[in-house]
Amino acid sequence: MKNLLYIFFLLPVLFSCQSEKRVTIYPNKVGDIVFDKNIDSPDFKKCMDKDYGIQYYSINNSGGLPYEGEKIAIIQKLEKLSLSSSKKINGYITIRFIVNCEGKTGLFRVQQMNDNYLEENLDKDFSVKLLNFTKSLNGWILKENRGIKLDYYQYLTYKITNGKVSEILP
Amino acid sequence: MERFQKYYLSLIFLAIYSQISAQANCSIFTEENCRKACEISNQASEHQGLSLSQLAFDKAIEICPTYDNAYFEKSVPYLKNGDFITWKALIDKAVELNPKEHLGYRAWCRYQFLRDYKGAIQDFDELEKYYPDNLGYSKNGDYNLYVVKAICYSAINQKDKAIQILENLFKTKDYHFGLYDYFQLGVTYFETGKYDKALENFEKQSKVYDFAENIYFRSKVSKIRNKDYLDLKSLALKSYDEGKTMKDAYTHHFNKIYRVQITEL
Repeated sequence: MKNLLYIFFLLPVLFSCQSEKRVTIYPNKVGDIVFDKNIDSPDFKKCMDKDYGIQYYSINNSGGLPYEGEKIAIIQKLEKLSLSSSKKINGYITIRFIVNCEGKTGLFRVQQMNDNYLEENLDKDFSVKLLNFTKSLNGWILKENRGIKLDYYQYLTYKITNGKVSEILP
Repeated sequence: MERFQKYYLSLIFLAIYSQISAQANCSIFTEENCRKACEISNQASEHQGLSLSQLAFDKAIEICPTYDNAYFEKSVPYLKNGDFITWKALIDKAVELNPKEHLGYRAWCRYQFLRDYKGAIQDFDELEKYYPDNLGYSKNGDYNLYVVKAICYSAINQKDKAIQILENLFKTKDYHFGLYDYFQLGVTYFETGKYDKALENFEKQSKVYDFAENIYFRSKVSKIRNKDYLDLKSLALKSYDEGKTMKDAYTHHFNKIYRVQITEL
């Protein structure tokens, strides 16, 4: 198989590393999210037997946000809530999660950064509000290939300008 | 079960295949370790995002710490998957080592993935010092980077500056017009209330590639002028349903219009 050949070719590279050097441990694929019983709901089930790291942009690409009514549906739903931070913060709050084969979401992870791209806790209450909003979204479009329904990774980034969401990405 | 596993793996490789970056020419390196780092990096970039690929980039960086492409390639999966903190730290290193090569890409990503308009403009200004006449093209090939710079100015409400950049660019000798160039200029004119100029550019756009968003704005101008706009509105919807829209694999285009906006016109 192709991946075995790949591992075969890369092994000499990796074994040539000196053993005493610290090697960074990476997940099987960048961005993989592993179930954490302390924060993740046990009710959320992935459909595939393994994590194949399928991303929002791979398989049946629909341009970054596979959502019923397109991205504007998310924008309009958020606008109705008029959420804002009590502080005049600037930066980004990114929420990554998995959409399973039933369109249900889980394994949410939040990353906050300032406008210099550095990790910073901008506003915990506001990020919880955005997390709850993200969890409330129920229009995710299923991805499937050859009749097999897939789990996939999705993210939403909220650009925050003066304490308000000024853009939603991707 | 094994059949399924093979199937899923083939899906992953299919997905990765579409992401393969251009291979660097390693023969230009005279220093042995850097040539080897280049070869390792080339091989690893074919398996973007996998742990062994990331480890291989680390190895490339270890044996040739000045090899910018290893930092760049290592950064890409973080960008696509929404880990912008890790992406930025890595792409900054690539830019530091080789600004001529990576500044334009970083600027494009700051705009495309984060709508960091001011940050992108800063990078474009820096890039202009190296390439005063031609900034190059966006990673997806849709735009000349001067157009992206103009979009950034438009986004921060400096519409006149955006128009100036685009008008000057379009007058450049032998300029190759991008897929959405006239449309972006047309929308910028539209937003400043200059409907004649807007329409002129939407008409030019329609000769290059007429898509739903471009037809929507023509319809909108007609409506503002109390002219019949319904035929154009219908055509915009038809084009939308046929898939003739502004598309991007990872994010959304600036000035993209959604189907519901056309129906509400």
